[in-house]
Amino acid sequence: MTSPVRVLAVGAAAPARRLSATDVAAAWGRGGGRGQVGVCAPDEDVLTLAAEAASRAMAASGLENDIVDGLWWGTTRPPFAEGPSHAVLASALGLSAHSGGALFSGSPHAGMDALLGAYDAIAAGSAQVALVVAADALVPGPGTTFEERAGGGAAAAVLVSEGGHASLPARVTRTHPFLDRYRSEADAGTRDLYDARLFREEIFLPIVQEVGEQLAALEIDEWSLPDPDGRLGATAARKLGGGAPASANVYAAIGDTGAAAPLLGALGSLDAARTVAVVGFGGGRATGIVINADGPVRGAATVGDAWAGGQSISYAEALRARGQLEATGVPIPMGVPPESALFVRGAEEMLGLLGARCVDCGTINTPPTIHPYCISCGSTKFVLVSLARRGVVHTFVVNHTMPPPFEAPLPLAVIDLADGARVMLQVIGDGSDMRIGVEVELVLRRYAFERGVPVYGFKARTIADATAKSSEE
Amino acid sequence: MGWNRVAVAGAGLIKFGELFEQSYEQMAAGAFQAAVANVDRGVEPEQIDGVFVATQRGTLWGQEGIGGNTVPSAIGLAGVPCTRIENACPSGSDAFRVGAMAVASGVHDVVLVIGVEKMRDKSTDEGLLSRAAAGHPILTRGETAPVLFAPFATRHMNDFGTTREMLASVAVKNHFNGARDPYAHFQNEITVENVLDSPPVCHPLHLLDCCPQTDGAAATILVNADRATEFTDKPVYVAGFGVATDHPYLHEKQSFTGLKATAIASERAYRMAGVDPSQIDSAEVHDCFTITEILDVEDLGFFDKGKGGIASLEGETSLTGRIPINTSGGLLAKGHPIGATGVAQLTECWWQLRGEAGERQVEMRNGYALQHNVGGRGSGVSVVNILTTNR
Repeated sequence: MTSPVRVLAVGAAAPARRLSATDVAAAWGRGGGRGQVGVCAPDEDVLTLAAEAASRAMAASGLENDIVDGLWWGTTRPPFAEGPSHAVLASALGLSAHSGGALFSGSPHAGMDALLGAYDAIAAGSAQVALVVAADALVPGPGTTFEERAGGGAAAAVLVSEGGHASLPARVTRTHPFLDRYRSEADAGTRDLYDARLFREEIFLPIVQEVGEQLAALEIDEWSLPDPDGRLGATAARKLGGGAPASANVYAAIGDTGAAAPLLGALGSLDAARTVAVVGFGGGRATGIVINADGPVRGAATVGDAWAGGQSISYAEALRARGQLEATGVPIPMGVPPESALFVRGAEEMLGLLGARCVDCGTINTPPTIHPYCISCGSTKFVLVSLARRGVVHTFVVNHTMPPPFEAPLPLAVIDLADGARVMLQVIGDGSDMRIGVEVELVLRRYAFERGVPVYGFKARTIADATAKSSEE
Repeated sequence: MGWNRVAVAGAGLIKFGELFEQSYEQMAAGAFQAAVANVDRGVEPEQIDGVFVATQRGTLWGQEGIGGNTVPSAIGLAGVPCTRIENACPSGSDAFRVGAMAVASGVHDVVLVIGVEKMRDKSTDEGLLSRAAAGHPILTRGETAPVLFAPFATRHMNDFGTTREMLASVAVKNHFNGARDPYAHFQNEITVENVLDSPPVCHPLHLLDCCPQTDGAAATILVNADRATEFTDKPVYVAGFGVATDHPYLHEKQSFTGLKATAIASERAYRMAGVDPSQIDSAEVHDCFTITEILDVEDLGFFDKGKGGIASLEGETSLTGRIPINTSGGLLAKGHPIGATGVAQLTECWWQLRGEAGERQVEMRNGYALQHNVGGRGSGVSVVNILTTNR
């Protein structure tokens, strides 16, 4: 089994919070509810999840980010409904300003579209290194049964023309123009299925089975199968002659991750020589792909860490974080409108986390646009550098008193980065893990959702002892 | 010794507080009348030929430019030259310095320096706390006023063993003094436990570690030192002043155990006045938060670096201590109507030097009182004025 496209490395990300299906059901006066879903914190969204998964895949690949030829990104709901979603993610990932790729959206099938798009670019020779990200942070309509299932997560893969331990030897697509889960321009959240039995008997099972049976010609070891309601995934697996699909543990941990689900369900199985079948479904289409690993793919052994653990939140907190429950009154507007000149001047330094290193004394001045003169020696000669993404807390505060839209407690820290730069950033979490000397990493987060526009920047996150140790090894 | 080219002929202020019932203009008029009333031999309004007004915030919604052309009309002096000084928290003390230079230059004969600030016409969320969303969208997002000082508390506590009790002792002392100042916003005494048990505002600072939101106005009248006795029986002279700036963002600070702007500004003021810190009899320093006063008394040279907390706990800065600090109640108890704050501190120095501070009067052995503010983004500006009865 050979193909012109190889998988060099993979990565995954999941939101920090977990919402129990029982709590969702109870909120609507229903009993029952099985499992839990991943929900974004107020400073997470589909783009920050995508950035985290892609960063992990790139780190596992051992490649420099600026040699990536393009970003192929699939998500049901881009963070800017009409706007620079792809450019913002590419910039935050440190990809070249000349990188290509595409953004696929409109249904959960977008994740498979991104994978196929990247595959085709490599196969055609127009790209040698392609970064694929499938990400979603679904927003179900309140009161739908889908609310108990709609989660969030991201999966990423680095595709190359040669090298790597996996190939993509087979692919098949089946279209059927039906409506399943749907959202119109007028809907904030996604609607339920019109009729669950109709969907199961006439749409889902026939199509998934047809696609699956074609893939099954290749002696499949593990399956990643869609599971729209918590039962259909297992049913489809039985019809394909298998046991529980590998994807079941991802659905159990963080729910239906939409466009991310097919890849997320498969990546963990690439930690050894295996043949994995991936079926993605949505928007009137189903696509199956076979990934054949001849040895452990870089990053695959640790993808499960992304969805392990998580912090339980209430239904009301989930609604607030998804923007479905808002306080009465007008939140304090950001002093700088997100469309204004400062964001144009500062786009690269904010998203790319740039500093100006003084040629004469070496001090890194941040951000560059407000430092025509070096703060240490007064020189005006600088070179732009990308700041280190790790550092140590020099001092900190935990702010408990801010007006909406801020959420307290909000820790802020002065951080000495590994390259000697000093920065002050918001810190993820409630501040209980903050102390002088603690090690942090910098990750992309949504600083604000301002006048309908997401505003992104880097925040600090403390590195848990275990994580710090494993990364040292 | 000292500059001493300008004298303070009069000073006064209105009772600080939540003055919902008074307009900006009415507060200005009150402070003006108080200062005029305190000129021993009187001053006629038509003698005033220059006004410098300190207002840090817009006094009406969104009208940042108000002040410079509002105040003369509000105090019956329409037509007189007036310039607004905005220099963050030291706006009032800087207006005083600029006013003194205007008199010393000979351009003006009698100058009114007046600080006026409306802090409470906007809600707490839309007023004081709205700065969490102001400024740079990443660098300063979430940065309310205590965020500018709390990182110094965290580091001071870590490096020197400063405790929350030491911080609290500053608030306890200043409330004690405020309870003896009829112009103070808060006139009640508090305990260390009250401070420790108050709700967290910005770790490690709690509510009673923070100054309140206060409306207020204060004024001083400056004349050439050679003409001081035409106006006053007990002249108080401007011995010296100093101003310094520092980098405006917190991540640009090299040290989080002191405020560089204060240290440089005070060095300049001491040199100009020809004194050293040991000759200062009392000081009104910028205590927007308890930690700020601890940093101040070290940066101003009253105590060694790291010893400010224990000095406060042991009473060395009380009314009967080695160097009484914030006899008026300070920003913590008297209040912090930003533009008025420095001018009100100078009024307290004036009273202390003239022996008119009532039950909070301290012993003035050497005849020097110091006034200090620090503020702005990253505490990037500080002003120190030194007044004296010596000439």
